[in-house]
Amino acid sequence: MAIATAQAQQPIDSCSLVLSGQVHDAATGEPLPFAEVLVVDLSSGTAADVEGQYTLKNLCPGTYHLHIMQLGYETADTTINLHASMNFSVLLAPSSIKVGTVVVNGERRHHEATTQSITTIEAQELEETRGLSLGEGLTKVSGLSIISTGPSISKPVIHGLHSNRILILNNGIRQEGQQWGSEHAPEIDAFMAKRLTIIKGASSVRYGSDAIGGVILVEPNPLRRTPGIGGELNLVGFSNGLRGAMSGTLEGNLTKVPALSWRLQGTIKRSGNMRSPDYYLANSAYQERNFSGAVGYLKPKVGVELFFSEFRSKIGILSASHIGNLTDLNRAFESNVPLVTSGFDYAISRPYQLVRHDLFKLKTFINTGSLGKLTLLYGYQYNLRYEYDKDPPLNDSLAALNLPELQYEITTHSINLDWEHTQLGSFKGMVGVNFLNQANLYSGRFFIPNFRNFGGGVYALERFIKPKFELEAGIRYDYKWQQAFIPVKNNNVLSPTRTFGNVSGSLGAIIKPSNLWDLHVNVGTAWRPPAINELYSNGLHHGAAAIEIGDSTLTAEHAYNASATLNLTALGDKLHIELGAYYTYFNNYIYARPELPPMLTIRGAFPTFRYTQVNADFKGIDLNLEYTVWKGLNLSSKSSLLWAWNYSDGDYLINIPSQRFEHSISYQFNSYKRINNAYISLTGKNVLQQKRAPLNGDFATPPAAYFLLGFNAGITVMCGKQPLEFGLAINNLLNQSYREYLDRFRYFVDAPGTDVSVRVRVPFNIKSKP
Amino acid sequence: MSTFKNLFLLATLSTLVFASCQKDDVENPDDNNESELITTVTLAFTDSANTASVRYFTFNDPDGEGGNGPTQFDTIRLQASTTYFTSVILLDQSGSAVDTISNEVLEEGVDHQFFFNTTGASATITYTDTDDNGNPIGLQTKWVTGNISTGIATVVLKHQPDIKAPAPGNEALGETDVELSFVFEIE
Repeated sequence: MAIATAQAQQPIDSCSLVLSGQVHDAATGEPLPFAEVLVVDLSSGTAADVEGQYTLKNLCPGTYHLHIMQLGYETADTTINLHASMNFSVLLAPSSIKVGTVVVNGERRHHEATTQSITTIEAQELEETRGLSLGEGLTKVSGLSIISTGPSISKPVIHGLHSNRILILNNGIRQEGQQWGSEHAPEIDAFMAKRLTIIKGASSVRYGSDAIGGVILVEPNPLRRTPGIGGELNLVGFSNGLRGAMSGTLEGNLTKVPALSWRLQGTIKRSGNMRSPDYYLANSAYQERNFSGAVGYLKPKVGVELFFSEFRSKIGILSASHIGNLTDLNRAFESNVPLVTSGFDYAISRPYQLVRHDLFKLKTFINTGSLGKLTLLYGYQYNLRYEYDKDPPLNDSLAALNLPELQYEITTHSINLDWEHTQLGSFKGMVGVNFLNQANLYSGRFFIPNFRNFGGGVYALERFIKPKFELEAGIRYDYKWQQAFIPVKNNNVLSPTRTFGNVSGSLGAIIKPSNLWDLHVNVGTAWRPPAINELYSNGLHHGAAAIEIGDSTLTAEHAYNASATLNLTALGDKLHIELGAYYTYFNNYIYARPELPPMLTIRGAFPTFRYTQVNADFKGIDLNLEYTVWKGLNLSSKSSLLWAWNYSDGDYLINIPSQRFEHSISYQFNSYKRINNAYISLTGKNVLQQKRAPLNGDFATPPAAYFLLGFNAGITVMCGKQPLEFGLAINNLLNQSYREYLDRFRYFVDAPGTDVSVRVRVPFNIKSKP
Repeated sequence: MSTFKNLFLLATLSTLVFASCQKDDVENPDDNNESELITTVTLAFTDSANTASVRYFTFNDPDGEGGNGPTQFDTIRLQASTTYFTSVILLDQSGSAVDTISNEVLEEGVDHQFFFNTTGASATITYTDTDDNGNPIGLQTKWVTGNISTGIATVVLKHQPDIKAPAPGNEALGETDVELSFVFEIE
């Protein structure tokens, strides 16, 4: 809850209005230092100083949505009509039920496509995931899980869909790498994110084809808008694998040129071999180093922002997972301990991956006030992936070159042009157009061919907003042209061309009759063209001990999605319920079907999978409950239930997350002298065995159910005016041996055992005198 | 408005500059950088009583695992009650020049071992070569055939870097480089 007071100070003066004020604790009236004040409409904002004082300058008259955040407090969203410079003070209520848990409710929604289920992870929840990969951090949200390849590679799964079926927007740019592979983790520095927004369900209209399962928005803070220099330093250490991560941000705004802001950010991470309760996971070490830089020239009416980031990682692949053929796989599976074990080591040996991802972004906008806001976004991405087999070639001269056995190089250019019109009565909306141009180069062993893509889309989204309800409708058309270049005998090249074009649409409504409950309903269609591996892959996946064969005649996959989310507050604000239900029907769902007999090769028999299309459906329920027992003491419960069915074959679908439940109890301590935001929480996670798996088509039955206990604690200590944030987390507290169905290494090894982590965050802010 | 025009122009221009590179490479996939494959396994049987008589039996899959299936998979036909000296030859015929992989196996004999198993048709197979540690490799073997019969002869090559067991070796260890089950006829 935010309580605001405002008073006019001076008359209208075009675009030089000043919005300033102080952020206070609603309970004590104390000023809140470093609270973030964001102007959603301008994608900009500022941080309050030590006295909680904030100032936003050079604003045009108009209506603005403010989003005010502070760790340990309820986030406040409010709308102001700015006609003159104003003093606008904000009271933030201490968060009593939010801490240590992820809560999703109406107050947190601040994005455009609100008729869908949206979850935001930020502040406290996000800090708890520091040092983890992007995928691991998202598993806090009900309905989300990960598909992983050991402890170092994980990809987010939304409602059972992943890889080619979800989109990740990295700082506004659609992430383009080799995302078809389940062992190809998103190349994103998780430390860069200040907010993760997850849109569950088909979101093609706004974000383009492929967004069938949902969209993940990875967003840094807006650039600093107050003169001075600030930043933060993060240090995290983990006991398992003796992993460490360090990340720093330095940002500033020029006193003499108030429109000019900059930011530098970098992260290094290193892990040794991790350990499951009974043995080390040989060659599971990894390294990562990333940096990014941004500079912006932002005025209320016009702005330009440049951003560059580079992500580099070297990831060891579990030695025991690299096998010769089906006989080796069976032998590995029958063994209780992995066939290759090791001690602790930071060294990374074969097999390993070497990945680099560069992103360059240019964003310009013009805000006319009367006509609306026009934004142009250009993105350039370069993704280089080397994969090294377990053994170098036998031929000495080949081995000396130490070339990767698989190499992919993909370059992507994208342009988005969006126009948001000013609110006309109750109507608010946007139209946009986008283009994408992509080229892929491979060398080494053939798995997917070279290809060239051109794509484009055009969309319109309109909302009708009334205090008690909102309606939303959108429509989009996407087109994709793709030519592949496949080497065949005698230096000939096959170059098949495929084109795809389809319309998608969505309709949604929000009903909010009172502050106690609201209902969000959305129906939509989405589609995606078959991905490159589904069309043309042909080769051996060593780690999976499988041969995958594409089908160049596959057609587009279509999804029809319906979802409803009910938010309910009861028992005098003590109980919060979020109940989400969804249903997706797939026409021509693409998956790799096992083919018999196994393919005969020089290495013996390999199971063979051929991409095919079936009709299938996914239905599920996400349920979040929050209950405040008494002040500070909270219980929460999250359930993610999912059922999937393959109608064409009359069978279950493979690799669908099993039902999972997470319950936690947390206690938030009162602030005492220089100690703030102290809390502890205990979480139990119960994952059931996947009993709905196809009988044929997997090497082993899904692993047994497991229960994991976790502990979290955090505290903020004020050293004078300097806050220091500390956190402690223990995962797999009871050192359970378990295997997860969606971990590809479940055939070979147990998941990691107990992991204790300690983190420190030091935000700092040096305000210069104007 | 003019500021915006300039920014728009800048963005469009930079896109064109970036988009114009990388043309020829994509359209001409380079097959020469192919990694190593074992495409061909040939067993050469020399009759110990008549060294002029050599029988060759071959498995050939020129494009390696996946892709097209094998083009040749011979039946091993040997005389009954005969002693043969047998060599295994491994070739990589996927590139422009043929690479004799069995030479590399010999060089790295301490990390490799062949295993031979027969069912249905009987032959007594003994190793006649050794690696630097005095353990068998199996590039050279002696086969003493039994009576007229038909069965299966399985040839397995294991890569066992640093884990190769002393004679007679351990087939369970390491990664499989070759595993072929030939039809085996004793005439």
